[in-house]
Parts: sequence; C-alpha cells; structure tokens
Amino acid sequence: MSSHRAHSSATISWRDIPQEVKPTVMSPAGRRRLNRQLIRNVLIGVLAVVLVAGAFEIWRTVSRNPQRFASAAGSRPVEEITLETNGVLDLAWAEQTLALRRDVGLMELDLYAAKERLMATNQVRQAVLTRKFPATLVVQLDERTPVLRLRARQPGGQTGEFLVATDGEVFTGSGFDRDELARLPWLGGVGLTRAGNHFAAIDAIPRVADLLALARENVPDLYASWRVVSLERAAHDRQLIVQSAEIPEIIFSLESDFYGQLARLDLIIERNRARSLRPVQSINLAVDAQQVPVSFRDGPLARQQPPSRPVRSVSAKPSSSSLVTFRLP
Amino acid sequence: MKNPSRHIAAVEIGTSKINVLIGQITPGRGVSLIGFGECQANGVAKGVITDFKQASDATHAALVAAEQDARVKIDEVFLAQTGGHLRGFHHPATVNVESAENLVSRNDMQRACELAMSKELEDGRIVVQYLQRPYLLDGKMVGPNPERLHGEKLEGGCWTVHGDQAVVTNSIHVIQGFNLKVADMILSSLAAGTMLTTQQDRQQGVLMIDIGAGTSDFVYYRHGVPFITGVVAVGGGHLTNDLALGLRVTEGQAEKLKLRHGRGVVASRDKSDKVWLNGDLAIGDRQFPRMAIETITAARVQEIFEVVKKKLGFETNSDNCPAGVILTGGTSRLPHIEDAATRVFGVPAHLGELPAWVGEKLSHPAHSTVLGLLHYGITGRSDTALVRRKPKRTFLRKLFATA
Repeated sequence: MSSHRAHSSATISWRDIPQEVKPTVMSPAGRRRLNRQLIRNVLIGVLAVVLVAGAFEIWRTVSRNPQRFASAAGSRPVEEITLETNGVLDLAWAEQTLALRRDVGLMELDLYAAKERLMATNQVRQAVLTRKFPATLVVQLDERTPVLRLRARQPGGQTGEFLVATDGEVFTGSGFDRDELARLPWLGGVGLTRAGNHFAAIDAIPRVADLLALARENVPDLYASWRVVSLERAAHDRQLIVQSAEIPEIIFSLESDFYGQLARLDLIIERNRARSLRPVQSINLAVDAQQVPVSFRDGPLARQQPPSRPVRSVSAKPSSSSLVTFRLP
Repeated sequence: MKNPSRHIAAVEIGTSKINVLIGQITPGRGVSLIGFGECQANGVAKGVITDFKQASDATHAALVAAEQDARVKIDEVFLAQTGGHLRGFHHPATVNVESAENLVSRNDMQRACELAMSKELEDGRIVVQYLQRPYLLDGKMVGPNPERLHGEKLEGGCWTVHGDQAVVTNSIHVIQGFNLKVADMILSSLAAGTMLTTQQDRQQGVLMIDIGAGTSDFVYYRHGVPFITGVVAVGGGHLTNDLALGLRVTEGQAEKLKLRHGRGVVASRDKSDKVWLNGDLAIGDRQFPRMAIETITAARVQEIFEVVKKKLGFETNSDNCPAGVILTGGTSRLPHIEDAATRVFGVPAHLGELPAWVGEKLSHPAHSTVLGLLHYGITGRSDTALVRRKPKRTFLRKLFATA
C-alpha cells in the first residue's frame, strides 16, 4: 500500500497547513511544555558556553603557565603519612625512604617516583600510594618474607649478609628481629648474578621454600637443627643438600614429594637413635622411597656444634664411614 | 552512545474518547508500545471538533497521561482523521507510453499519477490522503510497478480522500496547541484496516467497518490496496439516541440498556419478555420489552450497514469480497452485529481480532485505530525511509528541538 503525497498546484493538501507553533493558541499544558523546552534549551546553551569558556581558559592557562595548576593544587602540604603493611617495615622506614620535602603538596607529589623509591629495596614486593584528601598520603606495602640467608660480596667489595625470599629475590632486609634471622638456615652452593642494583632472583628457591615450610610445619625439631641448604647439586642432579647440626649431609630430591622425604628422614633418625649410638654422616633420601642409604661415622653419637659461618658446599666424604641401607615399609 | 529511536504518538480524536498511544520506533527493531493515555472526549461531535477549547483540553489531557505513562517526551504525532466531512473519489488518468519501444518508464508512471491527482477540489476542500490503485496497461491490470513492461496506454488511478479544510485545520491546531507537530495524517479506517486485515484478505477483497460512537468508517480493499474509503456519520451514539427517544429514557439509561440488552439482530420472539432498567427495584426502575430494545438497535445497525453498502456503490458478493466483512470499533461489541452485517452484505462477517502481541490493556476493538496508526507509521512508510531520514536530524537540531 502506498500513498502519494505529491499533488498538483490546484489542490491543497493537509501538509500545506502551516504548523508553526504559536504560544497564543496553545493550551496551558502546551505552554508549560513549550516553556520547559525553552528553559531546557537555554540551560543547555548556557552549559555549552560555560564548558567552552572553561576549556578555553584551561587551554590558555596551560599554554601560558603550566606550573599554575601544580602550585594551586599543591597548596596543602602532606601532613601525615599512613602506613599499612603485612610485614615488619615501619613508618620511620617509609618516611626515610620516601624522603619527602617538608612542604611538598599532596597533589604535587609524584606518586610514581615515590613508589619507585619504596620498591628500590627488594623487601617490598608491591607498594600502593594513595592520596587521601586533604593532606594524607596512604602507603600500602606488600613485603617479602625471608626463608634463607646468605653472604655475598657487595658492589663495594665488602661481604654482607642478605636474605632470600620465598620467590628467590635477594634483599638486605630491614626491620627484622635479629634472633629470628639467626634461626634461618644459610644458603650455599649458589652463585649470585647481578641485575641492575640488585641480585637476580634465584630460580630454585621457590622449591626450597616449599621444603623449608613443610619442615617447619611438620618436623620443627629437625628444621631447627638445619644450618645450611646447598643448591650445589640442584641444577644437574636435582638434589638439595641440607647440613644440620647433627648430620653433615641430608640429600633431598627436588623431583619427588618433600612430605614423604621428610617423613622418611624423621623415621630414620628416630630408628637410628633407638638402635645405634654412632653418629650419622649422610642420609640420601633421593635414591628410592623404600631404600635410604645412610652412612655413619666412627665413634659415638656426638652433638655437633653449629657452624659459626655459612659454607658454600657441604662435604660428603668422611674420613672413615660405614654404609647401611634402611629398608622402609 | 547515540540513541536513534523516536517516540511517536498515535492520536485518535474520537466522538466519545480520545486515545493516545506512544510507540518507540527504533530503526531495524520495529516499534515498542511504551505508553497509553485515554480521556473522555468533549467538544467533538460525529468526529468533528465543535468546541476547540474543550477538545484541546481533552486531547492534551490524554497526551499528558500517555507521556506520563511512557515517561518520555513525544517527538511527533500520527493523527487519525475521521468525520462525516470526509469524501473520496476515484480519478483515473491515461497517458501514452512515450518510449519508441513501448516500454513503460518511470516518467510515464509519474505523469499518470500526477494526472490522476490533478483534479481540482471545490473551495474549502483539502486533500487528506491519496490512495494509489494498481496501474492498467492497455486495459489490463499490471500492479503497482509496471516499469519496463510493454504497452501503449498506461492508466493510473488514485482514490483521493478530501475533507473540509476548516475541520482538518482544527484537528491539526489541537495538536499544535500541545507544542507538537503532526508528522502524518491517516484515515481512521485505513489505520484500523492495517491492523485487522491480512495481506491475503486485502488481495482477495475485504470490507472493514469501524463503528465508533459518532461515525462509522469503512475501507474496501481489493488487489492488495485500499480501493474505496468512506465515513458514515452514524455510529453507536445513534443507537443510544434511538433508545432514549423510543423508550423515553435518559441517554445514560439508554446507554446502559444498549450495552446490556442491545443486539445486532432481533432474536427475541416473546413480546412479554421484559428487562429492568436498573434491576435494583429502586424508585424509577421500570421494565422494557426486550424485543423493543432489540428492534431499535437492530434497525439502526441495519441502517448503518445499508448506508455503507450504498456508499460502496456495488453489491458485495463472494467474488469481489471473498474475505468477507470485518467489524471493529466500540459498537462492534454489540452482540450478533456480525449477523446483521452478513444479512446486509451477503458475505460472511466477523469481528476483527488484534494480533496476539497486543497486550490485554489494548485488546479492546476501540484501540485498533491507534494501534493501526503506529503500525501504518512503520509499514506504510518504509523503515528504510525512517533510517534515511535520521541523519538529517543533526545534533544541534535535536538539541534545540521544540517538539
């Protein structure tokens, strides 16, 4: 169905009736509608003018004096720094590390630079800085937890003590309890490489951290006696060598389950204590789940003194020893 | 994100009620009915505005109610046009095919159409709608697009609907008074017919009669297009008036009797069968013969159909009106009115049914016109036209639109 709207000049269509809106012929409802429309149009016009004028003013100010915005926004200096952390770093450390100018404004503050300063130490895994108006800077830190410690040569040539986190990152450590740190095993058998101002992360550490966490949780007495964890054979033999206060060499396999290896270690030590008084020289948990070679030193079980300093490698060759294989159920 | 949808109001200024239906037309997604407003009509008699202020107030109240229901502002109005002032005529025009190969060109079609629409009207008359009929090529019907067909004489024809200029202007001014513009004016019968007839009905031949309170609009479709339209200035209100005069009751009482006991044909044979006016046995309550009520209503209904038949100008039969007669409008709810139509027109008659997607709120036959206005708005004017027109509405024009 179609209808033609064209028509000859002789005829008049309803479309020729003028439809201009005249308020005088409008009903009150129509006039109200018209007035609302006019008001809306005026408001939109005014808003448009204000926006254009504002944009022009901003452009003019930015082009003439860019510092005006920064100085205007920074009129209120930072009065307080709030620290929220899951670790041991305190507000004093944060203030010292941030090293903010006394009169620096909150808006003037370069949050990215401040974040870089905080994360310059590897102890901070993540830092979030938030402006809380009117004058508070909120610092939220996610800190790394050390699981090992090591000695390494610093860029200046001096030997220093470092901590190793669960993800393998090496950091100097600040704010930790010294007694707590003294109970951490040393890390040996690893060569550190530099990456910028830091040491590069040690790849095998996440697996070592799993072993240490399991040991601390399930055999705390054994863990307390561990002095050195060596990665000497980690790359080639996939083995970890742990030197404890009593046993010079405990070999773990990186390939198999640590929980089972710890259970076998605990069992062997218990049985040895019950059967023999000879000191154990080496326990190799990496051979088999059922057969664990254990070598003994001559002489009665002797309490060894913990080493006064970390060693890079663990000696596994006693002067005279006998080898026994434990057959486990 | 730009929202390309428009809010269109279909407005029907009827003799008893004013209906406004708001549709949200989104290109490519059809129309969504989002608001409806209804108001008792004042200042309207037989579809013609007789009191501008009263009619304006009532129409604007319905528009406000519809806008509040839809919670949107109307962009433009599709206005239904009815009333006894509307008349129509067919004006054929024949042109010779200009091409040497006797192939019909678009130019030939254009000339035939312009010639068909060129008939001058009397003073004070104004064209409401042109309805194009199928072309004839050398006396044979060739449909709406004879381009590149072979022939010598091309005949185009238009059914021109015209009305009283003052009446049409008044109805437009009523809409203008609400700060809105009339985007399209469509005959009430065409709007209702679009909703109630199928393409197959229209192709075969169907008569649709919309019996309102003051007027009865009809449209006869053939070959898929509206062939004849017309308006009879008699409607359901006349049934009420007849009852009031014949039974000597008030119009309100007559309306009650019509709704309760009126029928399209006389079914009662017992003259002693009486019905109560109110049924509450209060003072003033009295009885009337059921047969008298049915005789009065059936006579007037038959008269309406006879007048429609006379205006059609031919006898309807199963050849020219195989799809029968479709009845709609408020008065079509009169029981057995379809039987009366069947007797008069000689073809089956039935009540029009709105599509299933129309909600319960709008399923009343009296709403078929406003529904058809919106339907006509998206089908009579192609969707692509709506889409093409949209980019012309620039941001600034939309921003400062006064509608």
